[in-house]
Amino acid sequence: MKILVVAEMQLGKLKPSNRATIRMAQDLAAQNGGTFSMMLVGHQIGDAASELNNFGAETLYVIDAPAFEHYLADTLTDAISKLVKEYGFDRVLGGEATTARDFFPRLAGALDAGMCRGVCGLTQVDGSTCYQRPVFSGMALRTERIHTPIHLITVDPTAMGEPDAGGAGEVVPFDAGVSANEGVQFVELQRAASERPDLSVADRVVGAGRGIKSADYLDTIGKLADKLGAAVGATRAVVDAGWLPNEFQVGQTGKAIAPKLYIAIGISGAVQHAAGIRGAKTIVAINKDAEAPIFKIADIGLVADLFDVVPQLIENL
Amino acid sequence: MKILVTVKPVADPNTPPAAWIESEQGKSGSVNYVANYFDLIAVEQAIQFKDMGVDDICIVSVTDESKMAQVRSAIAMGANRATLIDPEDRKLGAYQLAAAIAHVVKKEQPAFVLMGKQATDDDASQVGPILAGILGWPQATFVSQIEFNDDKSRVKVGRETDEGVEVLDVKLPAVITCDLRLNEPRYATLPNLIKSKKAPMERLKFSELGIDENPRVTVEGYSLPKGRSGETKMVADASELVATLKEMKLVD
Repeated sequence: MKILVVAEMQLGKLKPSNRATIRMAQDLAAQNGGTFSMMLVGHQIGDAASELNNFGAETLYVIDAPAFEHYLADTLTDAISKLVKEYGFDRVLGGEATTARDFFPRLAGALDAGMCRGVCGLTQVDGSTCYQRPVFSGMALRTERIHTPIHLITVDPTAMGEPDAGGAGEVVPFDAGVSANEGVQFVELQRAASERPDLSVADRVVGAGRGIKSADYLDTIGKLADKLGAAVGATRAVVDAGWLPNEFQVGQTGKAIAPKLYIAIGISGAVQHAAGIRGAKTIVAINKDAEAPIFKIADIGLVADLFDVVPQLIENL
Repeated sequence: MKILVTVKPVADPNTPPAAWIESEQGKSGSVNYVANYFDLIAVEQAIQFKDMGVDDICIVSVTDESKMAQVRSAIAMGANRATLIDPEDRKLGAYQLAAAIAHVVKKEQPAFVLMGKQATDDDASQVGPILAGILGWPQATFVSQIEFNDDKSRVKVGRETDEGVEVLDVKLPAVITCDLRLNEPRYATLPNLIKSKKAPMERLKFSELGIDENPRVTVEGYSLPKGRSGETKMVADASELVATLKEMKLVD
């Protein structure tokens, strides 16, 4: 088995989700007897390559070219496809994210390979490794078997532990032979500026739901978050209302997060939102409706008016 | 200008998960089907483009006759016609669905293909980009804003990504998958539902398309996710909450 981990960068840094993907590569290699290599793609990558090269990979392929300054599905797919064919990889792993959801299936189309998205566990069925992944808004788990020679897997970054440290692999620059094409051109990234931690990987997250009633109250939510050094997240209702941009959405169609502490404020706890916080260690729910489903998944619950409680928390924390 | 829009009938997202699993395994048929919501956003977008010179909207659906009502409700929103591909009792995976749709795309040569970003049953989010990969077309996924350039040879799209809204300029033909906030799908009116029964309908069979019958991915089984263990500790007020969080060393 020859495993390739597609490591990704985000805004000039290695994505934290690479670590979960490397963990799964180490597990797969140990279970099936094999080795894993990694690839890192970007432009002016710099120190990120050596930072990544500490987990016992056989080889680290580095593709550093102007065509990869911005993420684009077609150029990245072409580069991975070339690397996979040239070195005969039969397992390709990446971290579940809006990038991997975009380019991995394209790769599946290009390589005619079976793919499982958002894999949260490996399981042996009749002597071969199968993949577990959430389906139906995270309300069910499905075990899937891939029948093609190449398996494409995106890994749920909240479901895997930390990778084992290991030696550095040989660093091999790889010429993907890809140049920017006119089919798809990057224009810009519209991103809300924030000093707060990155929601995807924050240890503490304060989540706001419809119960906050208006965008004005987000200032107060933000004060609580800053008091805790937490990121702010939101339900679909809050994002749909235009109170926060989409990258704040937590849930089945937004981000899946796994903070140590999640404080759900004015959140009813619909299954779609619950799917996004399943990996949280401790969930605190503050809601005035004692029947709200969020209390079924919360570790600590407070039935009270959030407009009373949140200012008190800011004062007392 | 011709657009293809894909529509998948899916189990009602409000179905209890255990009942959904039973129906997926063929043990019971007591599940209500609806058109995948993200696909309805795609249909709505196609209809909104009628002002921009789109005059032929063809719905493509891989489904058997038992779920025709869901396809018809999408046609009744304002599409012109439909092409149906009967899976003939196969459980088709993402690759085979994309290959079947690619067959129709090659024949119809549309200006572009609009799809939902994912189906709410399999949550695979794969068919759109696989289709783009098979066709070698540009793709734009999770699109929440879209507009044509002047000569309608390209579209400018906003994509909902983890980092923010990414704006791309995409050459047509392309595969475009639609996210939640692109629009609010309209409801089909009763007169349009009646009219939709007369919409031209082409019927194909999966086995006639020349697609490799061997599945790339198969389902081995289902389980229900473990619930969060432990009880919910209820606290009385903000100060007890703060004390509890400190006691658990969750805050300093």
